[in-house]
Amino acid sequence: MLRFVLRRCGLALPSLFGLLVITFLMIRLVPSDPAAAMAGDDATPQQIALLRHQYGFDRPIWEQFGVYLGKIARFDLGESAFSHRPIALDIAQRLPATLELIVVSLLLSVGIGVPLGVFAALRYNQGADYLLRIVSVLGVAVAAFWLAIMLQLLFSMQLGWLPLRGELAEATAPPARVTGSILLDSVIDGRWDALVDALRHLVLPAVTLAFGSLASIVRFTRAGVLETLQNDFVFYERAMGYRRSRLIWLYVLRNSVTATVTQIGLLFGSLIAGGVVVEAIFDWPGIGSYTVQAILTGDRQVMLAVTLLIGAIYAAVNIVTDVVHGLIDPRLLDRP
Amino acid sequence: MSAVPPLSRRRFGVLTGGSLLASGMRAQAAEPNTFVSGFGLPANLDPHQVFDVPMQALMLNAYDNLYRYEGDPPRIVPWLAQSHSVSADGLTWEFNLRPGIRFHDGSEMTADDAVYSFRRMLALAMAPAAAFLPILKPDKVTAPGKLTVRFELNSVYAPFFAAIPCVSIVNPRQIRANEKNGDWGRTWLASNTAASGAYRIDPASYRPLEQLDLEIFDGHFMGWKDNTRPVSKIANRPTQETSTRILALLNGSLDCTDTNLPADQVDRINASKIAYVQKDVVMRTFIIRMNNTRPPFDNLNARRCFAHAFDYMGFINDILDGYATRDPYPMPNTLWGCPKDAKGYDFDMAKARTYMAKAMAEGAPMKRPIEFHVQSENEQCVQSAQLFQSNLAEIGVNLKIVGDIWSNLTRLARKPETTPDMWVHWVSTYFVDPENWVGQMYDSRFHGTWKASSYYTNAKVDALLRRARGTISQDARAPLYEAAIRQIMQDCPDIWIYNSMQLQGLNRRVKGRRFCTVGQGQEIRWITLAT
Repeated sequence: MLRFVLRRCGLALPSLFGLLVITFLMIRLVPSDPAAAMAGDDATPQQIALLRHQYGFDRPIWEQFGVYLGKIARFDLGESAFSHRPIALDIAQRLPATLELIVVSLLLSVGIGVPLGVFAALRYNQGADYLLRIVSVLGVAVAAFWLAIMLQLLFSMQLGWLPLRGELAEATAPPARVTGSILLDSVIDGRWDALVDALRHLVLPAVTLAFGSLASIVRFTRAGVLETLQNDFVFYERAMGYRRSRLIWLYVLRNSVTATVTQIGLLFGSLIAGGVVVEAIFDWPGIGSYTVQAILTGDRQVMLAVTLLIGAIYAAVNIVTDVVHGLIDPRLLDRP
Repeated sequence: MSAVPPLSRRRFGVLTGGSLLASGMRAQAAEPNTFVSGFGLPANLDPHQVFDVPMQALMLNAYDNLYRYEGDPPRIVPWLAQSHSVSADGLTWEFNLRPGIRFHDGSEMTADDAVYSFRRMLALAMAPAAAFLPILKPDKVTAPGKLTVRFELNSVYAPFFAAIPCVSIVNPRQIRANEKNGDWGRTWLASNTAASGAYRIDPASYRPLEQLDLEIFDGHFMGWKDNTRPVSKIANRPTQETSTRILALLNGSLDCTDTNLPADQVDRINASKIAYVQKDVVMRTFIIRMNNTRPPFDNLNARRCFAHAFDYMGFINDILDGYATRDPYPMPNTLWGCPKDAKGYDFDMAKARTYMAKAMAEGAPMKRPIEFHVQSENEQCVQSAQLFQSNLAEIGVNLKIVGDIWSNLTRLARKPETTPDMWVHWVSTYFVDPENWVGQMYDSRFHGTWKASSYYTNAKVDALLRRARGTISQDARAPLYEAAIRQIMQDCPDIWIYNSMQLQGLNRRVKGRRFCTVGQGQEIRWITLAT
């Protein structure tokens, strides 16, 4: 298993380097001037030229790349042209909130989607199956921003059950920062009031984000289970008198979820992208709004850093997906 | 360049859903003496690096300056300085500080601190320095006495005094302790504070653009006699989406929004028991720029054709619901130096056709596609372009709308060859002087800056503006600006549309607010929260 993981990590490194090179070159095509962004709106051409020289933006591109590579090797992501703060600091403040939102959304999607997919397959072409197929189509079709606003209107404004925005109420003091995730830090700090408040704030954004991926997981699981149910071993085990629930949830499901696991891995990436809208509507303090701001202000360093970071997260998720595949089907661990 | 995106589906969502559910909205309990502000935050916390409206708002609460703008109309009043004097030749200015002013760390403020602040601002050479760099050298800011700051200018610059409130006085002791490689504490102050203002920044609460808390500073030099029940904490919690902003205002979790509420939301907000919309006329002009160096805009008749083809009142009344004032001048019509009797351009398609024919007779390529760049994320910019596109189509002009972003537009505007045919933007009040508008927009020495992006050149106007800049007396300057503006209006380099009315949602518990166009009414020290 360790060899398998190391091999996968080894394969990820050149991919990440490739991503670094391509992103660095592509960002040079973005029509923006970091020196102008730094200097501010009222800056004169002389002020901008001075900053361009100070920060080396006037040097040859290969020289700039060399300097950047050196910084990355020292885990220095540089400084934001917009906020003039270290990018690593900005990301460290925001990434835990984004990961928290994505992980909870994914848990919701998987926790609800997989059983529903199995249920739909077992009720193939019956009323429940039709209903779940409609819900699946809706999940893919409904725009996240529309769903978010509707949930806000119903649960925050009309019923008053859940908070409208943010990750913690004004009146709730945040827990001591350890991981940056409010949920984890609340548990570590023993701050159960903060944990409850954070969970209440998390419900609407997580449900909004989970809705689309849940639909996808239901569809993949349903298809997988339907296919597995046609296999001879299922007929055999049925004939042998295996308990139905054990047969379905242990043997059939295990043989059905390979595609679903792949899909979950892919969904992680799409949740990062979808999270941008959800974070904006719920004022969730994640990395999405930071990225959008960087694009709008032409903040190249931040765009580069965030792209690299998301690439690294994506690579890590792919490795985890491969490991899970290996656990489900150990034969895969021996493949080169 | 991307195409113009569809308009505001998010707002459509909130309008449809909101009208169904608004009647049953529930209030969210507000913290008793905490003012929760939805006004935007600046890019960082260093007032010498960033200078825009959100920074002006932060400066008004966290920092102090030698003089400050107060009231409506804005008056420049003594603040840290209790008086000032200027030499007869207009080159030497002296400011006398009040005694006994303390920074938040308890140290006493002296003239040396003001000297350090101006030198730091000049050394960093970022946005607030633009007004000072051409006329002030760092070594010409000195402290001849413990409480006296002296400025010796290279040349006479009348707007110098008007620009003094742009510079915050910072605490050099805190900054020097955090300097790295001679960076003037730039990295440190971007997330920290070295101030003396009425409210003290809590750096631990800071998340750029998202969150910042400020606590009342009891030892502020102005004292608190003029407000016996001031706000004890300001919690800045800007919202990103218009829909969330309005809902947060309506459920009581925000005490104020930004100042750009959509006009079509005013009635609904005013109908609520929790909030209302405060309307204030600000000095913020909305202008369509024409690149005067590029055909057909290098032709006077062509420019006049475009100026007559924009439906000014249709835009103001139908799209903005009347929440703007028609302003046909290249600066706010409420400011001195504006020739009130000068006639601006009106919406008249017959005149537009006439001028178009004249322009074409002179060889202007009126039929070529014209690119109109807009900030895609700004609805009003897009709407103005769409209206103009429809008006121009009537006379056969093909206006192509191009989506863009602000940072790119300011980059493009740095050279006449890259500046778009047309683009649209506001000019806010950075300092209250005609120089902020007409001076920096139409003197050819400012070519290369976004404010002067029409690349208009007229030697007579240059001479008038330079004389106005070099004349100290406002009475003597006013006729110079009036003459310059008359000439500029004749030459029609741009299309001047309106002066803004800001729409800000306020919780009804907010009392005692004072408005000033500089900072858009965000000075919290006057506010009391009703219980």
